[in-house]
Amino acid sequence: MGSPLLKLEDLHVQVDGREIVKGVNLSVRTGEVHVLLGPNGSGKSTLLKAMVSMPGYRVTRGSIIFDGRDIRDLKPYEKARMGIALMHQHFRPLSVKFSSLATELCRTFGSSLDLISDLRVDGLMERELFRGFSGGEAKRAELALILLQRPRLALLDEPDSGVDLESLKTVGRSINTLIDMGASILLVTHTGLIAEHLKRVDTAHVMVDGRIVESGDLTYILNIVRKKGYEVFRGSRA
Amino acid sequence: MSVVEEILKSGSVAVYLQRNYEVIRQVVAESLASRGFILEPLSKATSRDWVKKLLWTALPERIMEGSGAFIYVPPGVKIHAPLTLCFVVSKGSQKVHNVVVIDRGSEVTLTSACSSVGSGTVHEGYTEVFLGYGAKLHYFMSHSWMRETEVVAESGIVAEENSSFDYLYTCLRAPATISSATRARLKRGASASLSTIYVASPNSKSKLGSSIVLAEEGSTGEISSRVVAGRGSYVSLPAEIEAGAPDTRGHIECRSLQVAPDAYVETIPVLRSLSGGSQLTHEAAIGKISDEELGYLMSKGFTEEEATTLLVRGFLELGVKKVPEPLKPQVEALARLLARKAIG
Repeated sequence: MGSPLLKLEDLHVQVDGREIVKGVNLSVRTGEVHVLLGPNGSGKSTLLKAMVSMPGYRVTRGSIIFDGRDIRDLKPYEKARMGIALMHQHFRPLSVKFSSLATELCRTFGSSLDLISDLRVDGLMERELFRGFSGGEAKRAELALILLQRPRLALLDEPDSGVDLESLKTVGRSINTLIDMGASILLVTHTGLIAEHLKRVDTAHVMVDGRIVESGDLTYILNIVRKKGYEVFRGSRA
Repeated sequence: MSVVEEILKSGSVAVYLQRNYEVIRQVVAESLASRGFILEPLSKATSRDWVKKLLWTALPERIMEGSGAFIYVPPGVKIHAPLTLCFVVSKGSQKVHNVVVIDRGSEVTLTSACSSVGSGTVHEGYTEVFLGYGAKLHYFMSHSWMRETEVVAESGIVAEENSSFDYLYTCLRAPATISSATRARLKRGASASLSTIYVASPNSKSKLGSSIVLAEEGSTGEISSRVVAGRGSYVSLPAEIEAGAPDTRGHIECRSLQVAPDAYVETIPVLRSLSGGSQLTHEAAIGKISDEELGYLMSKGFTEEEATTLLVRGFLELGVKKVPEPLKPQVEALARLLARKAIG
């Protein structure tokens, strides 16, 4: 086994001066699919946003090693160009046409619109991005943009929230495309619904109160979560 | 290659070029001329009584020293390739009066390019447009001015029953002072869409007005403006829709982006209903680029400058409601150029 593509070491993150992520350690190898479960407010989304240096998410301690290099202090666009893509969870309308942004991403990352033909976004292309989009449309549009980035590491923040079953299948297929492209995946989910549509999950983690408290087989962990909730993980350490 | 040859090569089927008061070229494709299409100086066209009677019926009368172009499109002629008018002012003052008549059932795309190449110049342009029953005109007015040029531009449109008028005004290089007004008067079932995309130059004063009168039943009008206000600029955007008949609809959308803290922008939407049964709405917004939008795009691999350019370009592009297919590449290229200019 080679060295991991991504390694988080004792990562601490603050938002508005409050510590949300409290010492996360995590390794993801090339092509691996990791699922990160946890209750609301446990720090999952904050972890992903901090990893790509989104404004307002301050790493106060620890390191983010990507492809052998500490990228903690790089700017968001530098990380994106290294191959790290973040699928956002909440979408506010952006004053840019979906097609314009897609075209720019094709130019920047050497990709092609053929990659997103399965996502049923043709009818959205000439619209202002995310304005008036349904939940499913927004997720599919965002996932299309992720595919066009041709990421080496895709950080997917709740791709299964707020989407209908039909869209969930489409989202699952597109994540499988990312897997086929050889991308490593770190996927945040509350419910684990999306996992049923993925061709493979290598490891699942549970995050509670800013820490990863359990890692292991997804089916095993989901069984516990579905029977007993996340409360049972409080106080434990991975 | 001359400017006219370039324009013809780009697909125009008729070109009129005037510098100051001198007509430099007028070219009409044989296929059009043989069908009764007319493109000539207005001073010549007024030898026809019916043309003379039209003068200053769509705009308040002005005393004019000079003339502009006259276009007549006979009934039932559909011209998809653009017709092009070019006016250049290189010294002193240029006053231009154009008259465009699109007869019953015809459809035309007209581009009008005005520019200055001399400082201290003045351009006054007055264009009267008459649309016959069921006629369609896609009108793209594109300006490019020296900073020191003073510009006054007014257009008046009279749209007969079931005709439609789509108008887009853009300015590649904005002058220090500009005042423009476009007024459309619509009869039964007619429609008009007046769009402006504009980047105000630093320390400039711009007044860009639009108005539509929904004079008869079933007429619909839309006014849309997207303006980027740069350093020290003053921009006023009066927009007015008056409904004078029932079963009419009108909408005003004014959006402005301030990319400098000392820019001044005012939007003045006015809706006036003189009759029950009209539906008039407006939305106006003045804002700046949000950190959230920038952060999102930076996470997609764009530098702050690239992200800002994308957002400004998108802001401008989204203001273009109805661009005819032949003009789309031109308008998109223009939006890209304007976006780069807007962020300096």
